[in-house]
Amino acid sequence: MLRESMQAQGRQVDVAGVARGFGAEAGIPHAAALAAFTEAVVRREDERTESGRRALREALGEAGLVDACAVAAAFHGFVRIADAIGIPHYSSPGGDDLSGLRERAGINEFYRVRKDGALR
Amino acid sequence: MPQRAFPGTDLPVREDLAQAHRRAWAAIAAPGTWLSAARRVAIAAEIRHARDCAHCARIRAALSPEGVPGAHDTLGEVSPAELELIHRVVSDPGRLSEKWSQSVLAAGLAEGEYVEIVGLIAMVMMMDTFTRALGASERPLPAPQPGEPSRYRPAGARRRAAWLPITEPEDATEADGPMYPSPKAGYIYRALSMVPQSLRDYWALASAHYLPGPAIYRFDQSVRAIARPQVELIAARVSALHQCAY
Repeated sequence: MLRESMQAQGRQVDVAGVARGFGAEAGIPHAAALAAFTEAVVRREDERTESGRRALREALGEAGLVDACAVAAAFHGFVRIADAIGIPHYSSPGGDDLSGLRERAGINEFYRVRKDGALR
Repeated sequence: MPQRAFPGTDLPVREDLAQAHRRAWAAIAAPGTWLSAARRVAIAAEIRHARDCAHCARIRAALSPEGVPGAHDTLGEVSPAELELIHRVVSDPGRLSEKWSQSVLAAGLAEGEYVEIVGLIAMVMMMDTFTRALGASERPLPAPQPGEPSRYRPAGARRRAAWLPITEPEDATEADGPMYPSPKAGYIYRALSMVPQSLRDYWALASAHYLPGPAIYRFDQSVRAIARPQVELIAARVSALHQCAY
C-alpha cells in the first residue's frame, strides 16, 4: 500500500524502511517524525509519545495529528485479527505475490514467515 | 465542526470517529453472537489488564514464545483458554502459530467464541491505542446490557484458508447480513466472517480510523488530513513492529 501510494504520486519509496524505519530520505513529508511517533505509540513509551505528539501537531496541524493517531490505532487492530485468525500472508489483497518486495521490506525475517517458509 | 469528545485532550476529533468509538463501546456492552454482554465486558477488562502482564513480557523477551514457564497476571474473570487467547493476542501477536491456536480451542473455546474474542481484542486495542496516542484519558468500561447471544453460525463458514473458519464471499448468504463491500474483499476483511456481527462491528470502527472502503484503493487521493503515503508509512511501521506479515 505504501509503494502504491507513492507510485500514484509518480515517486518511489525504499521499502527497506518498513522494517528499518523511515527518515527524510523516504521522500514523504515529515517521515522521520511520523515514524518516531508511531514507534513510541507501539512501544507504549509515554515521554516519546508526548514529544512526538508535539512535533506532529506543529508539523501536521491538529487534524493531521488526530488522523496519524487514528491510523496507528487502526493497525493495532488489523495486525491482531490477521495474526490470530491466521489468514494467508503470502499474497496481497489483489492476490499478487511480491516476493522481491517482501524480501526488501524485511518481511521474510518475521517469525511467522520464517516458520511457514519465506517466499523467495 | 469537530467535537472535543475525548476527555484529557483539547485535540479536535472528527465527529465520525468519535461516533464510531461510542458505537463500538455500545456494541461491546451488548450481547454478542457467542458471548453474553457480561462476558464481553469482562474480556475487555482482561484485554486492558494484559498489557501490563509480567508473564507476557517474559514471553515477548524469549527467543521462542513456546514453553516459557509462568502464569499470566489475571483479573480472574475469564476462563484459562480465554486468558491465554487474550494475553497472547494482545502482547505478542506476531509470534502466534496454527498449533497454538488449535491448543487454545482444545483448552475449551468454541471457534465462534475464539473469533468473537479476537474481534473484541482488536476493537479495544484500537480504541485504547487511539486515546493513548492522543494523550486523552482511557474511557471507563461500559456496563453490560441485558439479552442473550444469538449463536448464529453462517452456513458457509469453513476452515480452509485460515486457522479458523471463514465465510468466503461466494459462500455468504442473505441470512448472514451484509459483510463484504466487494466479492474481492481481501483476507483481512474476511478474517472475522465466521461471526458476521463481529465483522460488522470491527469494520465500522476500523474504517473510521483508517480509511472508508471505497477510498482504500484510490491511492491518488487522501480523505484524511494527512497524505496517503503518510497514512501508509504509519500503517507499515505499526505492522512491521508487530511482525505482521500480512
